[in-house]
Amino acid sequence: MPPFDLTRRTLLTGTAVTAAAATLGGLPRPVFAQAASSLNYGISMTDVPLTTGQPDRGAGAYQFTGLTIYDPLVAWELDVADRPGKMIPGLATSWEADPADRKNWIFKLREGVKFHDGSPFNADAVIWNLEKVMNTQAPQFDARQAAQVKPRLPSLASYKKLDDMTVQITAKGVDALFPYQMMWFLISSPTQYQKVGGDWAKFAMAPSGTGPFKMGELVPRVRVELLKNPDYWDKKRLAKVDKLTLTCIPEDLSRASALLSNQVDLIESPAPDSVSRLKQAGMRLSTNVVPHVWNYHLSMVEGSPWRDVRLRRAANLAIDRDAVVELMNGLAVPAVGQVPQSSPWFGNPSFKIRYDMDAARKLVSEAGYSKDKPLKVKFIVPTGGTGQMLSMPMNEFVQQSWAEVGIALELQPVEQEVAYTAWRKGAADPSLAGISGSNVAYVTSDPFYAIVRFYSSKQIAPVGVNWSHYKNAEVDALCDQINATFDPAEQDKLLAKVHEKVVDDAVQVWVVHDVYPHALSSKVKTYTQAQHWFQDLTTLS
Amino acid sequence: MIFYIVRRVLYSIPIALSVGLVCFLLVYISPGDPISAIAPPDAPAEMITQLRRDYGLDKPLPEQFAIWLGRVVQGDLGRSLSTGRPVWGEVSVALKNTVSLAVAACTLAFAIGTLLGGLAAAFRDTWVDRIAMTFAVAGVSVPHYWLGMLLVAVFAVTFPLAPSMGAGPGGTFVWDWAHLPFLILPMVTLSAIPLGLVARTVRGTVIEILHQEFITTLRGKGLRSGGILLHVAKNAAPSVLAVMGLQLGYLMGGSILVETVFSWPGTGFLLNSAIFQRDIPLLQGTILVLALLFVALNLVVDLGQALLDPRIKR
Amino acid sequence: MTLIAAKDTPATDTRAPEKAERPQGYWHGVAKRVLRDKATMFCLLVLLLMFLAIVFAPLIAPYDPYVGSIARRLKPVGTPGYLLGTDELGRDMLTRLLYGGRLSWFIGIMPVAIAFVIGSSLGIIAGFAGGWLNMLIMRATDVFYAFPSVLLAVAVSGALGPGIFNAILALTLVFIPPLIRISESTTAGVRALDYVEAARATGAGPFTIIRVHVLPNVMGPIFVYATGLISVAMILGAGLSFLGLGTRPPEAEWGLMLNTLRTSLYNKPLLAMLPGICIFVTSICFNMVSDGLRGAMEVKN
Repeated sequence: MPPFDLTRRTLLTGTAVTAAAATLGGLPRPVFAQAASSLNYGISMTDVPLTTGQPDRGAGAYQFTGLTIYDPLVAWELDVADRPGKMIPGLATSWEADPADRKNWIFKLREGVKFHDGSPFNADAVIWNLEKVMNTQAPQFDARQAAQVKPRLPSLASYKKLDDMTVQITAKGVDALFPYQMMWFLISSPTQYQKVGGDWAKFAMAPSGTGPFKMGELVPRVRVELLKNPDYWDKKRLAKVDKLTLTCIPEDLSRASALLSNQVDLIESPAPDSVSRLKQAGMRLSTNVVPHVWNYHLSMVEGSPWRDVRLRRAANLAIDRDAVVELMNGLAVPAVGQVPQSSPWFGNPSFKIRYDMDAARKLVSEAGYSKDKPLKVKFIVPTGGTGQMLSMPMNEFVQQSWAEVGIALELQPVEQEVAYTAWRKGAADPSLAGISGSNVAYVTSDPFYAIVRFYSSKQIAPVGVNWSHYKNAEVDALCDQINATFDPAEQDKLLAKVHEKVVDDAVQVWVVHDVYPHALSSKVKTYTQAQHWFQDLTTLS
Repeated sequence: MIFYIVRRVLYSIPIALSVGLVCFLLVYISPGDPISAIAPPDAPAEMITQLRRDYGLDKPLPEQFAIWLGRVVQGDLGRSLSTGRPVWGEVSVALKNTVSLAVAACTLAFAIGTLLGGLAAAFRDTWVDRIAMTFAVAGVSVPHYWLGMLLVAVFAVTFPLAPSMGAGPGGTFVWDWAHLPFLILPMVTLSAIPLGLVARTVRGTVIEILHQEFITTLRGKGLRSGGILLHVAKNAAPSVLAVMGLQLGYLMGGSILVETVFSWPGTGFLLNSAIFQRDIPLLQGTILVLALLFVALNLVVDLGQALLDPRIKR
Repeated sequence: MTLIAAKDTPATDTRAPEKAERPQGYWHGVAKRVLRDKATMFCLLVLLLMFLAIVFAPLIAPYDPYVGSIARRLKPVGTPGYLLGTDELGRDMLTRLLYGGRLSWFIGIMPVAIAFVIGSSLGIIAGFAGGWLNMLIMRATDVFYAFPSVLLAVAVSGALGPGIFNAILALTLVFIPPLIRISESTTAGVRALDYVEAARATGAGPFTIIRVHVLPNVMGPIFVYATGLISVAMILGAGLSFLGLGTRPPEAEWGLMLNTLRTSLYNKPLLAMLPGICIFVTSICFNMVSDGLRGAMEVKN
């Protein structure tokens, strides 16, 4: 390690420690017995995601300040790399739809779990947390966290405590996919909230959850320290490092430079063009299949040109996906639908998405546009961030390809969180006047997250994220059927049917699936990269 | 003299007020309804009503300005939309980092710039002069964000001599040995422009002084070069210090590009986030604080110059 | 920008030439001195060549600046057929740099030109009229002077949102105050000269005096000062694009190209450096020419 990283305990401005260090000359003291292991992880976020419970900055942020400090009732298996994970018990040991009324879900809670502040986890804590995000009248209601998680819990209707270790959560209707939604709901400590004086801003600086890490020092916009929680309830998932520092390095080149100069030990999403240099410096590249799709949602609200299916299909046909993969230096997989072709939900759509400029040109001209008289559209696109891959170059590439067939695309680049907000609001929101496309890439790990939330007309934003305002009676009926189907194999068949329909309807423009590359220095000994966008940071050592 | 000082201090007040006005109006030049500029995108209706009341958005502009000013004077710059944290807290932390960087860059620029300028003047019209001045012109002409990138590639990655980014292990900059290496590259990058300017100013001033009669007289009196140097320094000091003082202000306000390249957690970095997160209160607050600091610095420079050189009385 | 204020120092000294009665002979001398100055002439030549190259870009450029192919992305400098290589989307670098120069020069020159017109008019009016008009104009200028210029540019283009038009607007706003100051002080200097007083005494109207006596004497120094601002505008304009506040894709502009190519800095260093080199060279040349002109004009007869 370079000499500037030797002080073990970092110093806070203005603390007594600094003063003492300054008077002693503040010389870096080498740490002799390096008993405490630590890693520094360069992440692509522009700010440390919210640390109060529900992280902001998208699904990608859950792995950083969500699933590290907190736990959900229903968790996702993340410590396997060779197959997709599945739902596993989290703070709830079991859950089932009440046979008497399948709208009611009974969650049995885990005994003996304690928050980092020492207070016990129980049904009261769960109800308190539900109130935190669902009940605007509750004293602990936090608009910031609610904004993040409400769209992720569109089916939740009501909740009540049955006994100290059991809660009942009622869905709006019979919904077999409901437990998947609960994976996004994380539990913060009510006791700690009282202790910091009932102020979420203070709680953010001293949070308390039940997770495998406790939060150490937080320097907003710069870094956050995660310290191993040795008392974590799941001994299988104890953190392998004592201290994990997450450093925000949103800029691609800076992230590569920081890794090359040993300032960080691993980075997420290295710029594809820096990979050869990183490998040359002895860095390892870790990738895996990721349920993720880089795509454009097309607005189908009144007045949008994309209501014409010919244009939607043309937009899909006019992209050379292999070229995009090459642009990503191989770190991507072409997407010809919402999910990979290997997925049981892919089905057999009759519209085969491929690269066919002539067909695209023909469709565009049928719709009344041409290269000389192009269709003018404006899309809102994030400038970068986890999962957005090479956002701007990829968008520019699409822009260039579409220009060839008569679609003049104007890009409105915004910061990632702004793009997410626009995505949650839906295409009809007045703030998005003139914008007919959204380029938020997202995770498609479960049936609800991959399919239902985008295509059911009940999920039209801001309820779910049917950004496009896509309405198809057949799809709606199928989605209702999925919700009422508790048999997984049957569910898969129905999902495939929905997928066939939406591909035929070319609801979106699908471009590529990510492989979520990470570059690791030799200091990182183990890392299990799950087939997910979330990763389990406890596997790092 | 006293009259000048009092007048100069009093004059800063309307300037500071006008600066406030310009910052206040930023909300109005940003596209869209002003409420959309100051309310979080997911704000519930109650919060919007609350904000409308707090900012007096339904009242006429002058009254709004008065309300806003009243809050600013009490140190309330509002809350950041993207983080919900008070703007003043964010700005004050960032400001420390920016000031540290600017002071360091300024000092470096002053030291090397004076050396280059002095050499150029002493060896006027020789190759020394030409090299020094080429260096100075290069300094003011180089796109410094680009220079920063190259410095990182060479001195942090190819030859790992200094860290490539950040303000140090603590996340914010502190003047101690553990953090100093982090200062090196951004400091060098940021000093390029003032270095060039100082070198040119020093050269011009020194040449002018050397041509003045009293130096010739001193030489005639057989004063040694050391003595002459002292005289030159004494006479060149006011204008060079004035340039430096202003440069310090410019560096504080202008380090956005360098801070972005080096992920230096200062005000420039903050501005960059504020712009792309459409976080107008944060943008407004940061700019206001920086501009007021600049006004204060200008005042200090003017007063200092007047004290150093009593001939200056505007 | 950092440069502006400090440039004031030398430029404020640029008093109107003492022997202003025969401007023709004076300009003749200036031209002669510039012609003898090898460094300035060289830089002028470089700028002229660059200017011609970007003006005739559509004729010179070997390819379409907006069309590329991923198959030939990031070809190194010196690839046959692609003299300066290709960018991240496989577009010809030489073509992109030529077209990029158009926008970069536009962003460098346009704000200065607009600011020159507005700033010098206001400055000359203030300097010539004096009194309350001077007071009004100069105090308003002081307010904008209270902002460090990068900050002002970033604030304005940040609040307005990204886009080339907003960037130019922001930069123009930055350059008006210093140009007002220079024009005002130069005009005030000329106004005090004997022959202007004489003209006034003979009953010449203010417009006549400005046209006949003031303009020919003040425009030179103001112009020279403005040329020095071009390099600032270019660096700052490219900087705004670099931050994502200026030009937007797919337009070619040096600052933007610098930004998009920077991830290739480690595997194609020379290629990634090209846009920066272009900005650097242009900026140095403008600075040298501005210095040369100033030097030539300052020499006292």
